[in-house]
Amino acid sequence: MDEKIITKENLKAMCSELLKNNVDVISPLENGYLKLKSGDELTLDSKAKHTKASFKEYVFPKTEPIIFYKKSQSDVELLDVKMEDKQTVIFGAKPCDVRSIGILRKVFNWDYKDEFFNVRTNNTITIGMMCQFCDDFCFCTSVGLSPVSSEGSDIFLIPLDENNFALRVITPKGEEFIKPFGKYLMDGIKGKSEAAEKNVKFPEKVFDSEKVKEWITNNFENEYWNTIGKMCLGCAQCAFVCPVCHCFDIVDEDYNYTEGRRMKNWDGCQFDMFTLHASGHNPRDIQSKRYRQRISHKFKYYPDKFNEILCTGCGRCSRGCPVSMDIKEIVTGIGELANKV
Amino acid sequence: MDDIKKIARELFTSGKVNAVLGYVSINGQRTKPFLATKPEETDNFIINKYILNNLTVYLTKKEILKYGKIGIFAKGCDVKAIVALLQESQIKREEVYIVGINCNGVCADFDMEFSGETIALKCLNCEVRTPKLYDELIGTTEEMPKADDGKLKMIRKIEALSSAEKWDIFEEQFDKCIKCYACRQACPLCYCERCISDKSVPRWIESSASKRGNFSWNIIRAFHLAGRCIGCNECERACPMEIPLSLLNRKMAMVAQEEFKYVSGLDPNTPTLIGSYDLKDDEDFIE
Repeated sequence: MDEKIITKENLKAMCSELLKNNVDVISPLENGYLKLKSGDELTLDSKAKHTKASFKEYVFPKTEPIIFYKKSQSDVELLDVKMEDKQTVIFGAKPCDVRSIGILRKVFNWDYKDEFFNVRTNNTITIGMMCQFCDDFCFCTSVGLSPVSSEGSDIFLIPLDENNFALRVITPKGEEFIKPFGKYLMDGIKGKSEAAEKNVKFPEKVFDSEKVKEWITNNFENEYWNTIGKMCLGCAQCAFVCPVCHCFDIVDEDYNYTEGRRMKNWDGCQFDMFTLHASGHNPRDIQSKRYRQRISHKFKYYPDKFNEILCTGCGRCSRGCPVSMDIKEIVTGIGELANKV
Repeated sequence: MDDIKKIARELFTSGKVNAVLGYVSINGQRTKPFLATKPEETDNFIINKYILNNLTVYLTKKEILKYGKIGIFAKGCDVKAIVALLQESQIKREEVYIVGINCNGVCADFDMEFSGETIALKCLNCEVRTPKLYDELIGTTEEMPKADDGKLKMIRKIEALSSAEKWDIFEEQFDKCIKCYACRQACPLCYCERCISDKSVPRWIESSASKRGNFSWNIIRAFHLAGRCIGCNECERACPMEIPLSLLNRKMAMVAQEEFKYVSGLDPNTPTLIGSYDLKDDEDFIE
């Protein structure tokens, strides 16, 4: 489909229609990615700062039951979790957020197919939007993205002015989705969206991810890890607001003596419990080793295994870090060390 | 303000400490905590309106302790945490060299101009602008902007509600919790080597960020800080989900003060409220 133009009013009307059809519409509002109650809530502000957390929660919840169980003296009965067959539309997400689903899909379908993630993401339409926000923490261009990248979006919006957006269909899924909304679309004007894209301020590219990977490969014991890691407090703010951090823990929770549920909960590699063995031994016994893991997983292990950097450059972890550790600065530091070699 | 770099450097050169915890500037106004282990590493030290962190949290961390005697730049509220740690026998006085900062308030967050509207709420009615304990004192106290104590108003409003209504507020706020434990990790008084929330045999608190798990965690943390919290408010600042944790902690501190005339972190020689026992203690509440 050719590029179309749609007004903000019509995007709101589209949202209202979706809501009427019992579709969950999630959009970045002032207080985070929230489920809209009405189309009027839609702000579609491409200049807005990143929400504190990404929309990860909606495809990979912070906690969810994966099986229910009933115990008797001689037996355990297992009951599957019924997933709700409901469509979700992520509306107006930044390119650094929409990209996350594709990155996560690889790990959730590697040795085991995570049906919870797959059912949710298969039922999700992502409408990305060009980003006109850039602060000291943004570095999407250093991880192969940009404020105008539509990768991961089914449909991509480009704000042309206050009230008009260019609408690009990116995937067949997006094409299918937009069909019933043809009445809201107008024909595009050639060159307008390209001009808007050219006006966007790109974050400066601050490191070469290939060189960073190579340095990490050769510097497991480098003093740099101690220098940066010792100030980390060991919380999981960074991991939990991150669009692509995906570690989880599985725990059983008994309601009572006979019934319970098995939960899948977010977990974070900065916790000292994360690698604590039952023997009491902890291979990552100090914070700097845990911090090395965080950076290495993002810029070496994941790229090695899945050919994807486990980072979209959104900068959320840095904005929210209680001790202002800045991943951009830290990885830039690695890039500089790599250049010295 | 005095020459911070010079003061920090002298701590090393005079042989008073092996490492210094201070603030360094990043991206303009922002600061971050930094541990200098050599004199030349203090070159970026700074004191401004954005020294938000309570560096005391590092005094009980293994990787910091290994340096031996630590110098620390501390505002009055941060010193309260040091005193509370002394009261609870978690650190030794001779192991810490305190550079107390006469404080005129800090900003609520980075990237704001300091004014009556952006001053951190913990700074209003501060009674420790000159720290209660220090080895040397820097800076001078000046007039501070006045502002409305919005948090106290909220506490009073919640106090007037029925139990059911209070429950609703707790539920609404705790639902947001994602169990990242930033509150715990940023707290200078959450120093337990193994937190009750991480214990699994038995499991006291469900680790899920579910209704039950979140409720247990946040309420138990508030109880564990009752009569101990010194009000630095780092937990609330660290919370990515913007849960107003200070409402609970401050209410607990108010109860400690009203009922027991106790304020945590003022005097290292005062026995702690929860950890001490007196035959004259009021027993009327036992029925």
